[in-house]
Amino acid sequence: MKTIRIGGGQGFWGDLNEAPVDIAENDAVDYIGCDYLAELTLSIMSRQKEQNPQKGYAGDFIKVLREILPLLKEKSIKLITNAGGVNVKGAVEAARQAVKNSGLDLKIGYVLGDDVKELIPELRKQGVQMKNMDSGEPVDKILPGMVNANVYFGAEPIIECLRGGADIIITGRATDTSLFLAPLAYEFGWPADDWNALSTGILCGHLLECGAQVTGGNYDFDWRAVPEPERIGYPVAEVSQPGQLTLTKTKNMGGLVTTQSVKEQLFYEIHNPEQYITPDVIADYSGIKIKTTDQDHVLLEGVRGKPRPDALKLCIGYAEGYRNTAYLPYSWPDALEKAQYAADILLKRLKNKNFRAEQVRMDYLGLNALHGRLAHEIKNELNEVVLRISVKTKTMAEAEKLSPEIAPFILNGPPGSCFFGGGRPKPEEVFALWPTLIPREAVNLRSFVEEVK
Amino acid sequence: MVKLKEIAHARSGDKGDISNICIFARKPEYYKIIKEVVTAEKVKRHFQGMVGGDVERYELPQVDGLNFVLRHALDGGATRSLRLDTLGKTMAAALLRMDIDASL
Repeated sequence: MKTIRIGGGQGFWGDLNEAPVDIAENDAVDYIGCDYLAELTLSIMSRQKEQNPQKGYAGDFIKVLREILPLLKEKSIKLITNAGGVNVKGAVEAARQAVKNSGLDLKIGYVLGDDVKELIPELRKQGVQMKNMDSGEPVDKILPGMVNANVYFGAEPIIECLRGGADIIITGRATDTSLFLAPLAYEFGWPADDWNALSTGILCGHLLECGAQVTGGNYDFDWRAVPEPERIGYPVAEVSQPGQLTLTKTKNMGGLVTTQSVKEQLFYEIHNPEQYITPDVIADYSGIKIKTTDQDHVLLEGVRGKPRPDALKLCIGYAEGYRNTAYLPYSWPDALEKAQYAADILLKRLKNKNFRAEQVRMDYLGLNALHGRLAHEIKNELNEVVLRISVKTKTMAEAEKLSPEIAPFILNGPPGSCFFGGGRPKPEEVFALWPTLIPREAVNLRSFVEEVK
Repeated sequence: MVKLKEIAHARSGDKGDISNICIFARKPEYYKIIKEVVTAEKVKRHFQGMVGGDVERYELPQVDGLNFVLRHALDGGATRSLRLDTLGKTMAAALLRMDIDASL
């Protein structure tokens, strides 16, 4: 029986660059998928592209590519990624250079058309509503602040690139799961309406898209038991037929795969387990059974699928002001009391500067910054605590009012403070997201494959 | 009384302003307990003042687990939140603080 092995090389933009290379080097996989995009990533990339038209994609991917290219060629591995962000052409150009410099002969595929920012006014004229999926509010009020607008698309255009013989495929906002469904549907020839088969690819993608989070990372069940966490093995899925897959990890590396590590990832960011909506299929996880078949090998059976939704998800990022966050540590004795005293002084100073905020939040790291009022009551005096103040404002100028106010506390405020990190805090832009739906026919996705020598 | 942490393990994730927390019985025999005790209403009360919206619960009997979906849970969502933990990665541990009557 034919078996396809796929590695999950990246959980987000900022994950370990060596992970995909480790999979290629230590294991025998047919494909590696690298997911670089989270909800916020495209807004950040759009701002980077505004400042420099050559940016707007995950630059780290090009570093990965330089390392991994010889292995792709030598072991016939295909690499599929959404690292293109909001500048797929820029990413392809950088990838083309990397391939040329390597002296290898490889085909690069890419997908254009998910970036619909320029089309939004025309779509509004045509009567496409784009109401907020959660609140039902109309879209027009946020359009003046629009930063990016990207459609979450599925496996079909990626399959098209594979048919064209691409070795490396770069997309923009392809769904995380489509990067993994595409090679399976292509290899096994799954029809586009074989919902149970397609859901197997979605399950595969869902388990692999967060990298080592399924192989012993963020492992609540027994984190102390994870072997060699300093060289944690990223996940590998083995698929031979629809409806089941075996999850394992990169050979000769650390980490683990247990029923518990798989469970924790299986329902991560899932709401209704019967309705995991993707552009390719609505996957139903409610009947999945999990069992260990061998050391670090877990079999999942029983995933099912229902017909794909009519519309595609569109996410519009828009500007919503600025955020500035500062930290101020205090030591024993009376650490918490001093930090609270400093917070009062700070608020008075900001008031005197006529500071206007949308929101101000104070937390005490070491006491309650993560669990708020659920945190334990402190019976003994704290050895040290860090005051954290975070503010949200409409303008950059307001947010900047906080920046020079922190360091002087070390000389002017209660005793026993010091710097936390270097320099004055810098405000950052805040982006809000507008999730909505867009008809499939309004989106024109196009696949390209080119040979690079 | 024991903490839920003693009988269950968990992970939390985010989608916009929604936090989902899935919990799993540490031993199969504990599933009955968590299913009976950790109701949606109890989770909503547990997070009172921190989670603004409704709490839904889905039962996952084939993996001895429960999935909770908490709305208005992340101060507007990761991109806009002033929380230290913008993504709600520590929401799972916050739920595992819940006191459970061990005599069950």
